[in-house]
Amino acid sequence: MFKRFKFGKVALAAAMGSLMSGAVVASELVITFDDLNPDKKAAFEDAVAAFTQANPDIQVTANNGDREAHKSTIRNALQNDAPDVITWYPGNRMGPFVDAGLFMDISDLWASDENLSANFNAIKPTMSRDDKQWGVPYSFYQWGVYYRKDIYDKLSLSEPKTWDELLSNCDALTEAGVTPFTIGTKFLWTAAGVFDYLNLRTNGYDVHNDLTAGKIKYTDDRIRATFAKWEEMLDRCTFVKTHATMSWQDAISPFANGDAAMYVMGNFSVGQYKEAGLTDDQIDFFQFPEITPGLPRAEEAPADAFFIPANAKNVENAKKFLAFIATPEVQGTWNKAIGQLPPNSAAEVNSDDKFIVEGMETLSTAAGLAQFYDRDAPAAMAKAGMEGFQKFMLDPSTLDEVLEGLDKVQAEVY
Amino acid sequence: MNTALASNQNRFATSTQQVGIASLVLIACVFVLYFVVSTSLVQEVLGLQSQIEARVPTFFLRLMLIVGALTAALFIITGLSYYKRNKLAVTPWLFLAVGLALFLIYVIIPIFQSISYSFTRWNGLYDINGDWTGEWVGFHNYKVLLDDPNFYTSLKNNILWLVLYMLAVPIGLFIALFLNQTVRGIRIYKSLFFFPFVISQVVVGLIFTWAYNPEFGLLSEVWSWFFCETKENIMGNLTRVCSVDPPSILGDEHKATYGIIAAGLWPQIAYCMILYLTGLNNVSPDQIEAGQLDGAKGWKMLWYVVLPQLKPATFIAVVVTVIGALRSFDMIATMTQGGPFGSTNVLAYYMYDQAVGEGVGRYGYGSAIATVLFLIMLVYISYFLWRMYQDEKEAS
Repeated sequence: MFKRFKFGKVALAAAMGSLMSGAVVASELVITFDDLNPDKKAAFEDAVAAFTQANPDIQVTANNGDREAHKSTIRNALQNDAPDVITWYPGNRMGPFVDAGLFMDISDLWASDENLSANFNAIKPTMSRDDKQWGVPYSFYQWGVYYRKDIYDKLSLSEPKTWDELLSNCDALTEAGVTPFTIGTKFLWTAAGVFDYLNLRTNGYDVHNDLTAGKIKYTDDRIRATFAKWEEMLDRCTFVKTHATMSWQDAISPFANGDAAMYVMGNFSVGQYKEAGLTDDQIDFFQFPEITPGLPRAEEAPADAFFIPANAKNVENAKKFLAFIATPEVQGTWNKAIGQLPPNSAAEVNSDDKFIVEGMETLSTAAGLAQFYDRDAPAAMAKAGMEGFQKFMLDPSTLDEVLEGLDKVQAEVY
Repeated sequence: MNTALASNQNRFATSTQQVGIASLVLIACVFVLYFVVSTSLVQEVLGLQSQIEARVPTFFLRLMLIVGALTAALFIITGLSYYKRNKLAVTPWLFLAVGLALFLIYVIIPIFQSISYSFTRWNGLYDINGDWTGEWVGFHNYKVLLDDPNFYTSLKNNILWLVLYMLAVPIGLFIALFLNQTVRGIRIYKSLFFFPFVISQVVVGLIFTWAYNPEFGLLSEVWSWFFCETKENIMGNLTRVCSVDPPSILGDEHKATYGIIAAGLWPQIAYCMILYLTGLNNVSPDQIEAGQLDGAKGWKMLWYVVLPQLKPATFIAVVVTVIGALRSFDMIATMTQGGPFGSTNVLAYYMYDQAVGEGVGRYGYGSAIATVLFLIMLVYISYFLWRMYQDEKEAS
């Protein structure tokens, strides 16, 4: 009943075979990319151009589309007329496609390619599922707290290392009429960044991982402890009031205006701060402060990666391309261009960019790398979870209701 | 009726008529094919996929092949002696065939498909062999649904939409009564009142989202005249400090749905107004005059003389308003995406959100919501059909 109508397709294809346009190029490669932001698009195109130059016999077709739309079109793309290389997210987000056999196992490439096997140790677990590797990452970036250094200086505050220092900074800011944190939760995921950090700092990487893997309940005492910290934060380190109607970009305007002093964000946001009129002297970055003393510090570091669909027609060329974009040179140039970090540890980073330098320092010394809540948890859980976070942020008294609701979804989804 | 057709038949030579029918169906086929090839299901079957541009010659060859095959089939059918003997009985079905086939493929079959999916757990994927990856779970999804607070929120919002959206009918009526006068330039006023209905729902949604915005929206601007003052902040930039904060309509779970309904009412009132304006054109002046002679005026005149004559307009206004309320999907998608935390979901949006939206991929669960929505709609649709049937019976 649920078999797809394959026969008809074959029959029709045979009947129409004579009508198909003939000439097939000896060696093709079709790539689907998912970022139309000008800098990202240009960096991708440069990499493709470099690949074409190195492999003149391969005719490359590069398609690029909107990132949000890609999240739903990829389903069709993988099942029907698959490209040879496609972008997607590692971690649990690749799980459904791996489990349905729609991504190709490229463990052999990871084993045989010296560069891949030597320089990607930190990120390898993220690219693995069932002890096999499924993709090659081309970029990742750090998360942390971006803050207005000029406001901090004016109030003689310093970067907080511990939770108490953060809280007392918040008190000082509030007293000066500055809202400590800005955030825009209209599209939900920003709240997950705050939750991830609170949980990673309160309980550590393993507990966080178990939670997103569905092994710990949301009503667990350890997770409640995280929410207790969050409540403390809502109480003393207030967020801008209208956050539920703002996107993350909207939330930059109080930050740029000096009405809010800190922002828990990913490094991709730096360009937007500068566009809003802030300079390198006005903004700075610190790692989310320690909560449970002595806990190994884990960080958020979402990666973007390329995968080979199981239906790919030019597998050899696809593997050649993945090996190519994994090289230290390509990873270095690509990430310099987009202001992010190369997952290849042998690649060069842009030492003129203080955020990149701090990011490299933050991530290379981290005890564990999380992929971000909506990539670590399955999509259905992430959606419910992030709605719960938003609800809690708007009204902390709903905590029990939120956690019990999340337990129900958790029982359903895993 | 039969005799009329029969005389027609005598007047034209059979072959001419055949060509006439064939060309009509041919045009219909091209039209339908244009629609069909633009949908993914058939594109997949034909292997057209996304590269239509790259294969335009092949694409047209195939198109011509299909059109040709259909035309040939039509000529063969019309050439059969069975057809010649039963022309009157068969021809309507030939004309209906294309429409029926589409209705079957795009409406009837999907209904049963989603009902069957609602008994499964499925993430919407087929594996590499084209095998379905879900599993059968019986009534599990419905059990979960009954225990899901989001489902009740959506249901409650659906009812809110249906009830509050009905305000469009009386308000539309009163605007129509107000505009139903002959003064200089009344057509301009009528067009201005009708204008919101011409704008796309998405644009209406965006405009209201901006107007509601507590930071820079129209509403908060007006609010600041009364409750806010502009001060310099720590960095010497101007900032607004309010004694009472402006309402964050779309960010507050108790206000957001009302905010969206209000936005939706704006074009809907215009629609009802235009329906009543045309209805008022047909109100008979004799009866008004007779009413005046009997001393009816004001409310009594409206209630006992005008409204009964507007009954057909009222019926249509109610029907389009119910449909409008059930189509609230696009307003919600543009204004809140169901947020904050799912409090503005309606069943249709929640279903989309669980199955398709952001790759959540609970297709079984989404289908269960769809089935419930379908059952609720069925009540309304049955009533509507029954009512139509009664009217037909009365008329004949």
